[in-house]
Amino acid sequence: MQQWTALITAEPIDEAAVRRAVEAPESGALVLFCGVVRNHDGGRNVLSLDYRAHPDAQDIMAETVRGVMESSGLTIAAAHRVGELAIGDIALYAAVAAAHRKEAFDACAEVVEQIKLTVPIWKRQHYVGGISEWVGL
Amino acid sequence: MSSSDAAVVEKAAAEKTAAEKAAVGKAVVEKTAVEMNVHVRYFAAAADAAGSEDEMILMNAGSTLGELKAELTRRYGPDMEQVVRTGSFLVDKVVRRDLDWPVSSQVDVLPPFAGG
Repeated sequence: MQQWTALITAEPIDEAAVRRAVEAPESGALVLFCGVVRNHDGGRNVLSLDYRAHPDAQDIMAETVRGVMESSGLTIAAAHRVGELAIGDIALYAAVAAAHRKEAFDACAEVVEQIKLTVPIWKRQHYVGGISEWVGL
Repeated sequence: MSSSDAAVVEKAAAEKTAAEKAAVGKAVVEKTAVEMNVHVRYFAAAADAAGSEDEMILMNAGSTLGELKAELTRRYGPDMEQVVRTGSFLVDKVVRRDLDWPVSSQVDVLPPFAGG
């Protein structure tokens, strides 16, 4: 039985724990996605960024993950990190287990899309030159 | 003035006071029936635009998110307008974008999401 579906954490994401949350003997495919902090956005050089989450974000993310689990019939878990992140840090980690790879790839793409659309998390980018801006406005 | 006359005057005064109190009480009840305090919480870019994390805003009962949006823009200008133009609201733990949705006693102002 799956222990958890969604986690918002201020600590570095425990990749093995996310993977363990979905692993099962009947799964022949395990698709893992890492959303990583990159050093550029919109043609500007990014130094670092801050993620902030609404206090209800974990509940909303769990609901979103459960929705994709229901529509796909697969086992899914996802973790999102908040706080100050550096280039190369993992911000989002999603894991999907399935009997076969095609459905696991599809569900992983879908759950990442849905998390970006529905979970109240915000990102402030710090650019070279000392400018900081909230992303998405 | 006899003592019985004085008693009548006192009684009349007491009744008048009671009637005034009742009238004031009624006015208070009517006021709470047509207006409500909304605890508005601001997050991320919305908190920057408002210059605070939260505040109480007095609104007419039955006000909509569209009316709250207009009030926030009136109070905080272009910075807040930019936030609420593409943002959403959290009402009773559900994210709402429908501007006809009624406000409740607590509404969170959510800038556009940027997770992932």
